[in-house]
Amino acid sequence: MNRESESAGTAMQRVGGRLSAELVWTVGLTVIVVVASGLIPEFRALQFTSWAIYGLLALSLALVWGHGGIFSFGQGALFGIGGYAYGIAAINLSGMTGETFSAMIAAVIIAMLAAVVLGYFMFYGKVGDVYVGIITLATSLVLFTFMSSTAGPKYRVGNALLGGYNGMTGVPPLSYGLPGSESTPLSPGQLLAFTVILACIVTLLVRGLLRGPFGRVLAGVRENELRTQLLGYDIRFRKLVVFAIGGGIAGLAGAQHAAWALFINPIVFALQQAAVVVIWVLVGGRKSLPGAFLGVVLVEGLASFLGAGGGSATPIVLGAVLIAVVILLPQGLVPAVHAVAQRWIPWLRQRPADIPSPEPANIREVLIGASGNRHTAVLEGVDLRKSFGGLMAVNNVSLAFRDTGVHCLIGPNGAGKSTFFNLLVGRYRPSSGKVLFGGSLINGLEPHERVRRGLGIKLQVASIFPGLTTFENLWLAAYARLRVTATATERAAQILDWLELRAQAGDAAGALSHGQKQWLEIGMVLAGEPTVILLDEPTAGMTKEETARTAALITELGKSVSVVAVEHDMEFVRQVDVPVTVFHQGSVFARGSLEELRRDERILDIYLGRHRRAIA
Amino acid sequence: MSADQLNWLLNLFLSMQLSIAVLVIVSIGLAVVFGMMGIINLAHGEFLMLGAYTTLVAVRAGLSLWLAMVLAAAAVGVFGLIVERVLIRHLYGRLADSMLATWGLSLIMAQAMVLIFGPSTQGIATPIGNIQIGSYSVSYYSLVLVGAALLLLAIVFWVFTRTRYGVMARAATQVPEMAAAVGINSDLINAGTFAFGSALAGAAGALLAPLVGVMPTMGQAYIARAFMTVIVGGPGVLSGTAAASVLLGGAENIVSYLSTPFFGQGALLVLAIVLLRVLPTGLSGRWQRQL
Repeated sequence: MNRESESAGTAMQRVGGRLSAELVWTVGLTVIVVVASGLIPEFRALQFTSWAIYGLLALSLALVWGHGGIFSFGQGALFGIGGYAYGIAAINLSGMTGETFSAMIAAVIIAMLAAVVLGYFMFYGKVGDVYVGIITLATSLVLFTFMSSTAGPKYRVGNALLGGYNGMTGVPPLSYGLPGSESTPLSPGQLLAFTVILACIVTLLVRGLLRGPFGRVLAGVRENELRTQLLGYDIRFRKLVVFAIGGGIAGLAGAQHAAWALFINPIVFALQQAAVVVIWVLVGGRKSLPGAFLGVVLVEGLASFLGAGGGSATPIVLGAVLIAVVILLPQGLVPAVHAVAQRWIPWLRQRPADIPSPEPANIREVLIGASGNRHTAVLEGVDLRKSFGGLMAVNNVSLAFRDTGVHCLIGPNGAGKSTFFNLLVGRYRPSSGKVLFGGSLINGLEPHERVRRGLGIKLQVASIFPGLTTFENLWLAAYARLRVTATATERAAQILDWLELRAQAGDAAGALSHGQKQWLEIGMVLAGEPTVILLDEPTAGMTKEETARTAALITELGKSVSVVAVEHDMEFVRQVDVPVTVFHQGSVFARGSLEELRRDERILDIYLGRHRRAIA
Repeated sequence: MSADQLNWLLNLFLSMQLSIAVLVIVSIGLAVVFGMMGIINLAHGEFLMLGAYTTLVAVRAGLSLWLAMVLAAAAVGVFGLIVERVLIRHLYGRLADSMLATWGLSLIMAQAMVLIFGPSTQGIATPIGNIQIGSYSVSYYSLVLVGAALLLLAIVFWVFTRTRYGVMARAATQVPEMAAAVGINSDLINAGTFAFGSALAGAAGALLAPLVGVMPTMGQAYIARAFMTVIVGGPGVLSGTAAASVLLGGAENIVSYLSTPFFGQGALLVLAIVLLRVLPTGLSGRWQRQL
């Protein structure tokens, strides 16, 4: 066994070990609850069941908000949709099927669909984070008004009366049986056991999802949306998926709750209900899955304790708890306790992940990729124009870049080079003209779609994932291209060595020096095996030594692929010694080597702002 | 066209004006606070409710309705100032947290009102009578509300363009660093803006009180619509809010009129979400003027 597969093996064992430890915990807890469910009094069993159901609802928000970065106030609404869907399905169908589990499944699907529809408008409309919060909240409130005004016999679905403000009554409990026969409802003890087991299964599934590649990409989206997109990930789709899964879980909780309470009313859509879900998750900790359940137990425990005393003060206490947690303990209870525990119990401390040490790779090999069937592509702008209001920022520019070699775009501020760059990247759509890549028109493609076709993009400000480690940054970039965990790990390690950043592999990328961040980003672009690399001011703000190192890196890249760099720094342009295109007032003004251009008086005029001397 | 049809059309037109005016009234305060400070005040509905209760108490104490309304705006403005100093100022730049904290505040305020005044609806008599249009009867008060909406818009315009504070506030919104560099005290400006937005919310509550009745949950009835109006309006505090009110209020009213208010609410939501899908930065997102 050679060294790399050995270390990969231990890494696998460790992940396996962690998962199985969790499995032991969960199974142990489940056994305790199942045994206890037979012993505790019925009203306690019912109360604990409701907590487990709420925990599931809180879990859906921890997934969507804590891990997906989607600030959703709509989990309560999806919970309500699940509840109503269960009620309607169970009332209409349980007579035929003899059980109600199918109604529960139907509720999950309907809640998921509702989340997909809402999510489509929000994420594909590129609505900002805050607006997501408000739209989901407003949706709940409108549903509240909507369902409240469905009193009277004309609002019915089959045999199910929606019932207006008083809600839908006569919702069948969870029951099992065969079609045509009498169905048997679960006893309170059975219901508790079933609910807890289901909650554990869902939690483990979510945990598994977050541990896998999907979860790592989600962490990327949360850290830096733009960079994730520029690595070639479709973030809209990923947000939609996570929102749909969250919606399904909330719907499941809603169905269970309707079956538990035997009715459902529009209060589930009210502001206070939506608030309570957020409070549970805030108290437990936004990202913590067990925290979701703990938050429910603490807040509901407190509420039921207060309920015994002065019940009407409950919203005041909840509001105060919300404000207190936001101001005093913004990260939540579980992470805070965990951080303290880590200090005292070394066993809990996170160990750095093993990074394999592969054979040093030739940079050419990395760029050509394992498959080797890479066709050289040429990036070309044809008659490109872009106007902002009355300003023609790019006016009729045609430029083609060869399949290898570095090409610099220079020009004074406002010359249109950045606008031209953004037209190539896809952040702007041209007012007229064409962007061709490998011969095909890519005008209408989103940046991530261009990246998938082989464009590598590095923006001016270092755009990395500051909260992830250096290695994780590179891994995400490599995985975007390779889509195989093990291969991506190897590729990331190769690039790590090429960048000479192995010593910083386990550090948070945000702690790197300015130059190292820029190199890391170049490495991330490289991991995508691009055929054309676009760099916007790669040496901005660098020291002289850092600029020299960057110039060397880029020259090396230019041997294998086409590199287009927008640059201000003449020192850099001199060091890479490549063809240069000068932009002025939105058009191509001159082209040639730096030496040739230096002899051109007109260019000195542009840069120095000199007035043209009258030609005698 | 028969007289009946004409009356029907006139009535539809008037009720649409009322819907639009109500949207302007309930959302202008929210728009000021969001557009100028980037703070989402989820307790906006409760600020409105507070204005309504202040009016109620003042009228019962013997004040004239109009005086009570001015008092309500001032009282809620002062309340807003206190809230900003105690709570909001810790939360600048933390958008999600500011939403959560104001949400907590809204829960506390609504429940406190239940404890003080009880959960039931209390009315203030509509001050002036009705006009008769054919077989339809329209209250004069709804015409007053249309006038009030225009007046509030005019006040906001005047404050932000004609006063020293307003010019500084706009500067601080557009380029905060530069505003600080030329010596604008953004702490003071923010406190002022939040108080001004709160006063507008208080005025909204006061104006709506005779129309809908006063109860602790009245804020919730409007907050969803107010938020939709502000988001659809986009960054232009004045122009965006006005345009969004016309579109959303008009749609809600026509659909309600032709079917039931139930579908009117639905139409408003659907239209708002579709508009945002098409114009993610809101109606005024691409306009040149920023007010």
